[in-house]
Amino acid sequence: MHPDHTGRGTTVHPQGSGVAQPGSGISRRRLLAMSAAGVASPLVADMSAIRLLRSPAFAAELRKQERRVILLWLAGGASQFETWDPKPGVKTGGPFRAIPTDVPGIHISELLPGLAQRMRHTAVIRSLNTKIADHGTAAELMECGRRNDPSVRFPDIGAIVARELGRLESTVPDYVSLYTSTEGRRKGTSGFLGARYSPMFLSESMTPPNILRLENLTDVDHHDRAALRDALARRFTAESRSLAVDSHLSAYQRVQGMMASADLFDIGREPESVRARYGSTQFGEQCLIARRLVEAGVPFVKVARAWWDSHGQNFETHQELCADLDHCMSALLDDLRARGLLEHTLVITLGEFGRTPGINASLGRDHFASAWSCSLSGAGVRGGVAYGKTDKEGHTVVEGEASAGDLFATILASLGIDPEHEYMLGSRPVPLADFGSEPITEVLA
Amino acid sequence: MVLLVGLGPATGSLPAGAAEWLPATTDPPRAIDHAVGQHLEKAGITAAPAADWPTLLRRTALDLAGRIPTLAEYEWLESLPEAERRLAMVDHLMALVDFDLHLRNGLDELLLPNNPHNGEFRDYLLWAVQSRRSWDQMFRDLMAARPSEGPEKGAVHFVRSRVRDVDELTNDTAILLFGVNVSCAKCHDHPLVDQWQQQHFYGMQAFFSRTFMTRQNVVTERPFGQVTFKTTAGEDKTASLTFLNGVTIEDRSPTFTEEERKRLEEQLRKMEQSDKVGYVIFPDFSPRRELVEAAIKDTEQRFFPRNIVNRIWQRLMGVALVDPPDQMHAGNPPSHPELMDWLTRDLVDQRYDLRRLVRGIVLSDAYARSSRWTSADTPPPPASYALAATRPLTPRQMATSLLVASRGTAMDVATAAEPGGTWSRQRLDLENQAGGWVREFEYPVEGFQVAVDEALFMSNNERVQNDLLRDTGDSLVGRLKASATDDALLRHVWRSVLTRDPSADEAAAATEWLARHPADRLGSIRSLAWALIAGPEARFAR
Amino acid sequence: MQQTEPTAARTPDAVKVVKTHGLPAIPFCIATAESPGEAFVGMSDFAVHRIDLGADKPEASPIGEARHGSYVTGIVRVGGTIVSGGYDGALIWWDAGTGSVVRRVEGAHAKWIRRLALSPDGTRVASVADDMRTRLWDVATGGCVADWGDNDVKTPHGYPSMLYAVAFSPDGRFLATGSKTGLVLVRDAASGSIAGRLETPVMYTWDPKARNHSIGGIRSLAFSSDATLLAVGGMGKVGNIDHLEGASRIELFEWQAQSRRAEIEDTKYKGLVEALRFGPGDGWLVAAGGDNGGFVSAYATSDGRLLAQEKVGNHIHDILLAADGASLVAVGHQQISTVTL
Repeated sequence: MHPDHTGRGTTVHPQGSGVAQPGSGISRRRLLAMSAAGVASPLVADMSAIRLLRSPAFAAELRKQERRVILLWLAGGASQFETWDPKPGVKTGGPFRAIPTDVPGIHISELLPGLAQRMRHTAVIRSLNTKIADHGTAAELMECGRRNDPSVRFPDIGAIVARELGRLESTVPDYVSLYTSTEGRRKGTSGFLGARYSPMFLSESMTPPNILRLENLTDVDHHDRAALRDALARRFTAESRSLAVDSHLSAYQRVQGMMASADLFDIGREPESVRARYGSTQFGEQCLIARRLVEAGVPFVKVARAWWDSHGQNFETHQELCADLDHCMSALLDDLRARGLLEHTLVITLGEFGRTPGINASLGRDHFASAWSCSLSGAGVRGGVAYGKTDKEGHTVVEGEASAGDLFATILASLGIDPEHEYMLGSRPVPLADFGSEPITEVLA
Repeated sequence: MVLLVGLGPATGSLPAGAAEWLPATTDPPRAIDHAVGQHLEKAGITAAPAADWPTLLRRTALDLAGRIPTLAEYEWLESLPEAERRLAMVDHLMALVDFDLHLRNGLDELLLPNNPHNGEFRDYLLWAVQSRRSWDQMFRDLMAARPSEGPEKGAVHFVRSRVRDVDELTNDTAILLFGVNVSCAKCHDHPLVDQWQQQHFYGMQAFFSRTFMTRQNVVTERPFGQVTFKTTAGEDKTASLTFLNGVTIEDRSPTFTEEERKRLEEQLRKMEQSDKVGYVIFPDFSPRRELVEAAIKDTEQRFFPRNIVNRIWQRLMGVALVDPPDQMHAGNPPSHPELMDWLTRDLVDQRYDLRRLVRGIVLSDAYARSSRWTSADTPPPPASYALAATRPLTPRQMATSLLVASRGTAMDVATAAEPGGTWSRQRLDLENQAGGWVREFEYPVEGFQVAVDEALFMSNNERVQNDLLRDTGDSLVGRLKASATDDALLRHVWRSVLTRDPSADEAAAATEWLARHPADRLGSIRSLAWALIAGPEARFAR
Repeated sequence: MQQTEPTAARTPDAVKVVKTHGLPAIPFCIATAESPGEAFVGMSDFAVHRIDLGADKPEASPIGEARHGSYVTGIVRVGGTIVSGGYDGALIWWDAGTGSVVRRVEGAHAKWIRRLALSPDGTRVASVADDMRTRLWDVATGGCVADWGDNDVKTPHGYPSMLYAVAFSPDGRFLATGSKTGLVLVRDAASGSIAGRLETPVMYTWDPKARNHSIGGIRSLAFSSDATLLAVGGMGKVGNIDHLEGASRIELFEWQAQSRRAEIEDTKYKGLVEALRFGPGDGWLVAAGGDNGGFVSAYATSDGRLLAQEKVGNHIHDILLAADGASLVAVGHQQISTVTL
């Protein structure tokens, strides 16, 4: 009736093996121990370890573990006409022109001149048809790659990447989400993957909540108190034989590491010249924070730039917002590249939907999910590709239609994560990317 | 004694000895222990010993009062003869306003999981619990969703919070009130369960498809409307009102002429869209009301009572009898079928009295077992109930318990149950204050893990340091610093936070800790208190 | 658009829409034609159109084959010559009769041209654009005779700014410009030196908290015939900057005295004030604009009180006020309307 997936799948379990390599049985713990130990480790004396070092599975695993994601979330729905899929000269095209890029044959909006010179790192997908045009539901759809089900709380892309690419004993957060504006503010969700993979969420302040030691407690006291807590917790933890109780201990053990990572959010530690390149807008500063985070090993950072929902004055709004996006993302790509990080970091621009071809009387564009765009740059991406086509006026997709699930699968594949890998929720298999979705191989390196 | 013949269709054959305890007059705890005992014997599992009385006090207080015990309760029970403690404890806790609040919170968490701070709904639930409204009557309230100025008015939120999505309303009702998740059956016959076919899903949806909300936010139903669906074979079908047991309800809505229908459509459209229309149509034939009747009349499969038995059992015992609790079907029988039947029949016979069900469970031996497993062997499977489960506290339990521990709430046990008395008022205050802390803790779900956010909050948030651990007045740290001896201090803090005395090792470690910085004894005391409230034992019901 | 000599002073007491007709594209600007029943309109289809106003169903037809590279946002006519400007940063001189291009100045501005204004003596065209430059062009030769800055290229919040409005005083002495951030500069039209500086910051709404961008700006300017009064039009403070939901706003200045005579906020008729004209005699002025819908409102210039107003179809971008002030033609989102005052 239904194939038994328990052999292939991974139980949703914080300390379980997360590697989707059938048969090789490399536990993540062992792998990390080996990679951390280095060549001089006594482990090398073990021939099986040497064989593993050479195996393609190991190499793939190592490559995967170097990957990071920065999701630039264009909250409110950016217009594809004013960004990646311009249609100048037609009734729906608006006043802005299309400009050539550093990739012959690809043109994008004149509002993104900087990114136009960085198209060789970028793949644009112009053929998203995701059908849902209300903010909340659409955001959930794009974040989780599928509609939510009343009986299943799906994890979003950040939580999945945190789980698949993060390190168990990590001293940095696995998933950081920045959303400062109040409009459309969304935290993100780890769904059934549990609180271990919930995002560290920053909104009003760029200092993560509860990350700084209280002033009236010295560093020593803080440590000693924590050690006392751990000591007194030991027996109960051992006798209760409960994974939930174990997770209590792990959570507290991560506190020191998380507190140390507070510095990553402080752009005051960057040289003035670097800060100047990103500029002084809030988005620029947060893109710089994102770079610092991925550089320190945080696997997934989401930076939201709200609020693109230009029901009125679409062209004025995009002049401002595209200027910000163009400037900051160009600086980010350049900075990542200069540090050798771009080949390991996937940079995504994505919103919950695009905007209507029709221009309303306030010179605005409304919600539109039938034919819109997103972009992928960096790790695992075949740069200089424009995938998919929309019709002359941008009403429908005519080539390469992609669903939210397809995009989700593509993102996972670019990171070396198998989109068909399944989590087992009880006896219910939950593939990482929704059933029936396929990665868009044309945009993958 | 009257012997009742086994009830229910193919849910497992009756075990041997069933005739001995099926009588309806059996005390529920005895029925529970007999059933659980029989299964343990059959599986050759030895049950863990009974938990010691402080452990049981703590567990029972969390489960009946939604909080850890007060020091006064601890001392009162300590003073009673051993044999009297159990019953005295349960009777005392169930008489307090705490019981009503905790039951209310549990029902709130069950029925509106995504909307945990709906004051009106919570007010309705409290009123229903306090006025001893039976569960079937509450079901009627929830489904009726009628606007009212009376105490039932909050009941409307169950439907109202889901009214914009008929799938969600159908699924949630089926899952939360009948223990059945038919959502898979929407697109095709359920792949695993022969019992659930598309017509079951759409049959259930038909009870809700006419429901809508007017522009004035009144929930009502259209006087007509059908659900049609496409089978996997591509055939178009109309769904009739079909309950989960397969019984079809006749659609007794009046027929309308084309003309009448048009007029009604217009009126309905206005109700839905116009700001100015103040009237609402409530049709005589209400599919939602028919659903309630169908559920109550289902004496064979009894989804409705079985579900609440299962849910309450799960909350108290850690593992549901039918696990997962939204998969109640023939392919997923209860772990203890005869017990499930017995408790279900008892609930129905006793007019859906949830209090009786709760009391019956907490007075059983199965409930009172130890949760400690010190052997190197694998522990017994949770569904055997040989070992009590270690359960994470709900955010409300955690918040209220932290406040009870740190505020040093004095309690006069003898008068605590007085409605409107000192303790009742204090407890209501605590309930309100707890609302300010619940967001820091995650609600325990399947596969629960503690988030590092919680650990960071406890470690670094000034509210923990300046509120829970302040040393002024009648606070915990205040009393600790006034303790005459280290021994007295340790006993006080361990009892206040963990409802027990420290072990010898713990006492030694804590004494050493207190001695480390004689110049800052207060700081050491505060840190010790912190170490306990931030520890795992305070976070779980052991 | 030129304002001709006022002949009679009358005050509007009612605004009535006489007729409205749909257009295939969005008209942004309108200029009179030599024959009174016609007008020239710059539209979103990149073309300059001729419209027969007298017809029952006024049709717009492009003059000639040539097109701008983007929306046509400014248009003036001098005799038989039309000058148009657009988002392509180009200015085109046309022969109004044949529709042929007399001259095309590409790169007249580095960014999007927002408006043109014709000097009353018909010799100069002023252009304002988002490169934040104000330029004067010789109508006869097409040469650039002045290039003035003084507007910040960026908004105080670090984003590219816009320069939306420009107007000559009827005596030709002064040229006023209005920016996104609410700065009005009044220049001596000959020398370019700044004769006056006014600020209308309420017309620029910056939302740092909810939506993190701005909306608004000064959209229209008009001088009284003696140039002492300057009316500035835009939109009041906006809560939800996704929409044009602020009150329409006019500030009336005795600009040389640096004093504001009236502040007009109309919460009933919301949106941008896209066009302003003083009525003959300067006793009243007319404002037109809108949110999604359009409006025409008339206010007394003595104290800013409302005289008459009416909703007029869709958002209005520009108007032609008749010399006697009794009627106007309004072009708005895909429509053209005739309105009596």
